[in-house]
Amino acid sequence: MTTHHEEELAYELRRRGLSRREILKAGARLGLSGAAISALLAACGQQAPAQPGGGAAQAPTTAPAEPTAVSLFDQAEGNSGWPASAVGDPAEKVEISVAHAWDATFMERQKQFDALFMERHPNIVVKAENTPFGEYRQKYVAQAAGNALPDIMYCQFSWSQEFIKNGLFIALDDYIAREKDFNLQDFTPQSLVSYQRDGKLWGIPYDEGPANLYYNKDLFDAAGIPYPDETWDLEKLKEVALKLTQGEGPNKIFGLGELPSLGDSLVAPPYLMPFGAQYLSEPKEDQCLINQPEAVAALEWWQELREKGAVPSPADLQNVAWPAFQFGKIAMTQQGSWATPPIRAGAKFNWDIAMWPKGPKAHKTFSAGSAYMITRDSKNPDAAWIYLNDYLSTAGQSYMWGITGRGSPARLSAWPSYLSSKFAPPGAKFVEQAMRVSASHDIIDQPTGPQVTQAAGPIWDLVVAGQLSVKDACDQVFAAVDPIIAANRA
Amino acid sequence: MAVEQRVNQTVARPMDKPKMGKMARREEREFYLFIALWIIGFLAFDAGPILASFVISFTNWSMMSPPAWVGALNFQRLMTDPLFYTALWNSLYFGVGSVGLGLIVSFLLALLLNQKVLGISLFRTVFYLPSVVSGIAVAILWIMILHQDFGLINSVLAWFGIKGPGWLVQPQWAKPALILMSLWGAGGSMVIYLAGLQSVPQHLYEAASIDGAGPWMKFRNVTVPMMSPVIFYNLIVGFIASLQGFVLVLIMTNGGPANATLMFGLYIYRVAFQFFQMGYASALAWILLVVIMIITVLQFLGAKYWVFYEGEVAK
Repeated sequence: MTTHHEEELAYELRRRGLSRREILKAGARLGLSGAAISALLAACGQQAPAQPGGGAAQAPTTAPAEPTAVSLFDQAEGNSGWPASAVGDPAEKVEISVAHAWDATFMERQKQFDALFMERHPNIVVKAENTPFGEYRQKYVAQAAGNALPDIMYCQFSWSQEFIKNGLFIALDDYIAREKDFNLQDFTPQSLVSYQRDGKLWGIPYDEGPANLYYNKDLFDAAGIPYPDETWDLEKLKEVALKLTQGEGPNKIFGLGELPSLGDSLVAPPYLMPFGAQYLSEPKEDQCLINQPEAVAALEWWQELREKGAVPSPADLQNVAWPAFQFGKIAMTQQGSWATPPIRAGAKFNWDIAMWPKGPKAHKTFSAGSAYMITRDSKNPDAAWIYLNDYLSTAGQSYMWGITGRGSPARLSAWPSYLSSKFAPPGAKFVEQAMRVSASHDIIDQPTGPQVTQAAGPIWDLVVAGQLSVKDACDQVFAAVDPIIAANRA
Repeated sequence: MAVEQRVNQTVARPMDKPKMGKMARREEREFYLFIALWIIGFLAFDAGPILASFVISFTNWSMMSPPAWVGALNFQRLMTDPLFYTALWNSLYFGVGSVGLGLIVSFLLALLLNQKVLGISLFRTVFYLPSVVSGIAVAILWIMILHQDFGLINSVLAWFGIKGPGWLVQPQWAKPALILMSLWGAGGSMVIYLAGLQSVPQHLYEAASIDGAGPWMKFRNVTVPMMSPVIFYNLIVGFIASLQGFVLVLIMTNGGPANATLMFGLYIYRVAFQFFQMGYASALAWILLVVIMIITVLQFLGAKYWVFYEGEVAK
C-alpha cells in the first residue's frame, strides 16, 4: 500500500513522463528504501499494462496499436458497455483521421481508447492527429482552405458557430436518428447549444463544464475562516476575499484570482447575470447591453476588489502559468472543471471546490465545453460516425472524461464515473450540482465573438490600469461592439 | 586646407568603366549561379503567394468558403478603421525609436570594440551573443527583466529611490519598453559597423592627423563619412524589420495593454488568423508594403545629403 506522499511523488514522476528505470534512479537519489521504491513503482502504475478483456473486446486483427508511454490511467478500467452502431462496420479496411488538441498526458488516454476501438472495429484504422491547442484553429482553417480536413475534428464552443456557418461539418441528425440507443436527452441542455444551427446538430459535445470556486484550504485554515458552502453569496465572497488579502510584494496573498473582463467571452454568467445584467443579448448576440445601468453597477461592484488590491494585477500574473491559483498565493479562483488536472499537478497545498456563489438577482455561473464533428471533407463519414458513436457514448465519455477526472461529461449518464474518480476534485459533486442549478451557456459564441472580445479587451485594459472609469469603458465598449454585432441582426 | 575638404578629395575619384575580361565574365557567371538559388526559391515559394495575396485583397475570404469578389472595398474599409491608424502609428513610433536608438548604441559599441585592447575578441563575442538567442527566449527573458515588481530594471531604479513603472502593463510605457528591449539585438548591426570601421583606410586618419585633427575631428570628418553607407544600410534594413515586427510583440504583449503595442504585423495576423478575414488582411499587408516603400524612397532621397560612397566623384 502506498502512502499519500508516495502517491503524490508518483504522480509528479508520471507527469514528467519518467520511465521505470528513471523512477528507480530518482528513488535511489532520494534515499528511498527498496520497499518504498517498489511502492512508488506500484503507485506509478508501472505494472504490465492490463490486457483488455470482456465480451466486447476482440483479438486485434489490425496492426497492433502503437505502444504508449507510461499512462496515468489503466487502459482496462472502463473498457465495457460500448454501444453497437446501426451503421455497419465497413467490409474492408478504411482509415479515418481524427484531430485532437490534447496535452501529452491526456493523449496517452486517447491512444488507449483508440487501441481498444480498433480492437472492436478491426476494419477501421484510426489515425490520431494531436495539435497544441494554441495552434489548432489556424491549422485546421488552413486545411479547410485546401479541402483537406480530417474525417473527425475537435471543436471548441467559441469556434463552432463560425465553422458551422462556413459549412465545415456535416449535420449529424440523420446518423443520430438511425441509432436506437443514442439518447440526445442524456446530454445536458447547455452542452448542445453551441453546436446547433438552422435546426440541426453539427457536433456531439464531450464535455460541458461549469465554472466553480476553487479555494485554498490552507489559507482559509490559517485565517480561521470557514470554507465556502451553499450559504455563500457574492457579498460573502467579496468580504472573505478582502479578509484573506494580506501581505506585500512577493509574499502577498490575494483573496480572489480574477475579476470580470469585457475581453472575456465567458464574463456574463458569473459576473453580470447574478446582478440581473447582460453583456450581449443571448443567444442571437444582436444587441449590446453592457452600457445598461445594471451592467455598469455590477462591474463597479466587482471593481472594488481591484481597488482594494484583492486580485492580482496584470504585472503579478506575468510569466505565471495557468491557473495561477496552483502556486498558493491566491485564496479563491473561478475556474472550469478542466482546471483540475493542472491544479492537482501543481498545487502543494490542500484545496477543494465549491459552487460559485449566488448573486442578489440570480444564481449563475458559465458553462462551456467542446465537441467533435465529422467534417465535410471526410472520405469515410460512416466509419467516422461509428467512431463518434463509441467515443461520445456513455461508455466513451466515462472512459475518457469520467474515470480520468477530466470532468464535466456532456452526458448525464457518464457523471457517476466522474464523481467516483480518484482523479476528480474532492468536491466534484459541486460540479454536477452547478450544472443542474446555476450553469448558463449564455456566453459569447456567435461568429462575431472574437471581434467583440478583441474590440472590448483593450478598452477594459484601461480600466484595469486605472485610467478609465467603468462607466466610460462600458460606453466605449458599446460604441465599439455595436457595429460588429450588427452582422447578427440580419 | 580644411581636413574635410582633403578627405573628400582623397575619397573621391572618377568611376572607371572597366572592360569585361575573362575573369570578370567568370565572376559574372558565378554571380548568377549564386543568386539563382534565391531566385528559384523566390519563384517557387514566395512569388505565388505574393501575387495571390494581391488578388485576395480584392475579395472577402474566410478560408473556409470560396472567396467573393468585393472590388476595392477592403481598401476603403481601412480608411475608416481606427485600428489601422493605431497599428500604423505604433509601428512608426516603434520603428523610429528602435532604429534610432539601435543605430546609436550599436555604432558606439562598434567604436568601443574597434579598439586594440587585451581580450577584445572576447568582448566582441560577448556583445554579439545576445543576437543569436532565439526570439521566444528573448521575449521571455525581457518579460522578466521588465517585470514591474521583480524585474532587473525596476530593481536597479529602486536603488536610486525611483519606483519603476509597469513597463509592459501600462499603456504609456509599453512602447518605450519594447524599444528598450530592441537594443538586445544591437550586436547584429554592431558587427556590420565593426566590419565597416576596419575597412576605413588608415591613411585617411594619418592625413587628418598631419592636418592637426583631433579625435573628435577625425571621428566627424573621417569615420562618420566613411561609415555613412553602412549607417544607411542599417537604417534601411532596421526600419523595414521594425515595421514588420511581430513575434516578440505577439509573445510579450499580444498588442496590449489597450492596443498600445498593436503593431501593423500583429494586426494583420489578428485579422487573418483570428478573424479569418483574409481579404482585409491582404489589403493591410499591401498597404504595409506601400508604407515601407514610401519610407524607403524618402530615406534614399535623404541619403544624397549625408551618405558618401568611396567611388563617388565629389560635386
